[in-house]
Amino acid sequence: MSIAIEPQGPIAAPPPPEPDPVPVNYLNNGYSIWSWLFTVDHKRIGILYLVSISVFFLAGGIAAGIVRLNLLQPDGAIVTEDAYNRAFTAHGVMMLFFFLIPAVPAVFGNFFIPMMIGAKDLAFPKLNLASWYVFMLGAILAIWSVLAGGIDTGWTLYPPYSTRASQSHVIPGVVGVFISGFSSIMTGLNIMVTIHKMRAPGMTWGRLPLFVWALYATSLIQLLATPVVAITLLLIVVERMMGIGIFDPTIGGDPILFQHMFWFYSHPAVYIMILPGMGVISEVLTCFSRKNIFGYHAVAWSSVGIAVVGFLLWAHHMFVAGISFYAALLFSLLSMLVAVPSAIKVFNWTATLYRGSITFHAPMLFALGFVVLFIIGGLTGLFLATLGTDIHLHDTYFVVAHFHFVMVGGMVMGYFAGLHYWWPKMTGRMYSDWWSRLAAIIIIVGFFLTFIPQFYIGYHGMPRRYPNYPHEFQIFNVMSTAGASILGIGYLMPVVYLTLSLFYGKKASANPWSATGLEWQCPSPPSVHNFEKTPVVVCGPYEYAIGVDQMGRGLPEPPGVDDNPARRSGITGPAGPMNKETEVVG
Amino acid sequence: MAEPNTATANDDPHGIRQDVDNPATLILVFVVLIGLALANIGISGAMGPTKLTLPLQLAIASVQAGLVAYYFMHLRQGDKVVILTALSSLFWMGILFVLFLADYLTRHMVVG
Ligand code: HEM
Ligand SMILES: [Cu+2]
Repeated sequence: MSIAIEPQGPIAAPPPPEPDPVPVNYLNNGYSIWSWLFTVDHKRIGILYLVSISVFFLAGGIAAGIVRLNLLQPDGAIVTEDAYNRAFTAHGVMMLFFFLIPAVPAVFGNFFIPMMIGAKDLAFPKLNLASWYVFMLGAILAIWSVLAGGIDTGWTLYPPYSTRASQSHVIPGVVGVFISGFSSIMTGLNIMVTIHKMRAPGMTWGRLPLFVWALYATSLIQLLATPVVAITLLLIVVERMMGIGIFDPTIGGDPILFQHMFWFYSHPAVYIMILPGMGVISEVLTCFSRKNIFGYHAVAWSSVGIAVVGFLLWAHHMFVAGISFYAALLFSLLSMLVAVPSAIKVFNWTATLYRGSITFHAPMLFALGFVVLFIIGGLTGLFLATLGTDIHLHDTYFVVAHFHFVMVGGMVMGYFAGLHYWWPKMTGRMYSDWWSRLAAIIIIVGFFLTFIPQFYIGYHGMPRRYPNYPHEFQIFNVMSTAGASILGIGYLMPVVYLTLSLFYGKKASANPWSATGLEWQCPSPPSVHNFEKTPVVVCGPYEYAIGVDQMGRGLPEPPGVDDNPARRSGITGPAGPMNKETEVVG
Repeated sequence: MAEPNTATANDDPHGIRQDVDNPATLILVFVVLIGLALANIGISGAMGPTKLTLPLQLAIASVQAGLVAYYFMHLRQGDKVVILTALSSLFWMGILFVLFLADYLTRHMVVG
């Protein structure tokens, strides 16, 4: 592609003056509870989601704590077997449906998609607010049912156990998940239409930040897959309440049918969870290595590729469930395919880091953690996708470790990277640099200690979802619980220093990381309508090498770079394009 | 409502009025849908579980779904992107069915 900007002199253009602090921003524009509950401002709705999913994350974390503590002893340390089943189900339901799936799309997607493409709001602001209410309705129902009495089926809700035998609150839980699914559809629809219709002048598809591409792909999955799981869940309710034989073989149903329909959603849903995280990582890695992304188009299209190919491999969860041997072969093969776009991303991120001027602020630490942990998670996914090995590994702790590496090591890391990256923009305050770096390191260390032992015991045959295990596994379970405690402390630390930053934090400038995206052109915190004038976009999203933002203006000094002019993002310094393989997208 | 569109260019700059649904058509479509539903129930009662019953019922249901999409979901007024979206959702349903059948149709086959 051609170079859109001709840099003159060592610094391409002077940085724009710091925008005057606006007297009315989206936060101080009304303090009453109604100004929040009836808001149609995408930024406030993002904050509503942020607060609610933080609560659900905490609740899910407490359930995980019960599970881990119970596993300290081979015969169950603290709760009964029955309570144990309810604890891990509560953990899975809350974390998956009420934290991970809405985490990045509903918080950062809502908040930043309009700002990144230069729009004033999402396409359907009222639908956006409605999505939050629908989400809360479903969440309250489901969380009430997992807490009051609980569900003991596991988050996968397999019949016939869930429809015939389980003596727990399956129906309200299932209905709650069903309802919140609509919120996911609404958010996806809203984001998709916004990206199609509301881009600022000059914001071509080839200039969209990769976060926007990632959320576009996510929305595609949300729209196409969620209806299938909604119907499936309703069928569970129908069978359980009315005894109509759909899945239960004793009354003429087919239990494998449920698994097909469930995983037709739930495998793509794991990409609903990881793709937005990948989008965040592309933003953060470029910013903190001061380089253009390596292979913009490859990274953008691999998001779409993951979204599409992700629909073709669901039955790799069913290899030992009694599906046809030939289908198992086919799905094993197709599962290998999805590793290709995932690997494209990882290679491009690594190439982006190569010879960059890297600074290790908290968002960058989380992002690097994401890359490393996602590689381990993705590679172990290939072990599981291989038909022969999966017969050995299925339903063991190996699977548990695999999906925690991708979901916690991947998505939760991505979520925290995004939170730390955009926090100054969202709140107008800087948080403690030292504490946030420490938290990132504690989380990464705790994560390894928690989940690496699980690969080992899983490979040696410890099944998942069992409260009891042979003595020789105890040491590994103790390690895992110890790691989980460290992880828990790591996750609580941001609660403290981020909250403190609201009151005592230094005021953030408009562009504290010296980033190029349009969202940094608004004041921090943004004014009600984001932009005073519709921005005009003149170049690609990551022109760090020539030092201009998407409006072609210069960048302020990046934080943490010492003040040697040769190190600035000029033409000839080590961060400049003369010294760097860089691709300019224009 | 049935009279031709006489709006001047100024009066209807975006051609919105042309796109407005005609209630008579909608009611007619609705009646047809109910009629097809009744026919479907009637057929299953009259034919009993023969080999043809299910395909016939599914065919009727597809016609119903098509009517809903075309009239009620406004594919009639849709531009290219909307049509493409609708077709791609059909394609996705195709994925669902084909890969389901990859399992169901080969399950009885013996390995080796
Ligand atoms: C590189 C691509 C990936 C491959 C090839 C892969 C493969 C697999 C396979 C074959 C299983 C089934 C194992 C078994 O039950 O025996 C599995 C389980 C799982 N994977 Fe992955 N995976 C990949 C990436 C991901 C990602 C990105 C996520 C989420 C962000 C994820 C989340 C899960 C979850 C949640 C389960 C367990 C579901 C359950 O039974 O509760 N995987 N994976
Ligand atoms: Cu999967």
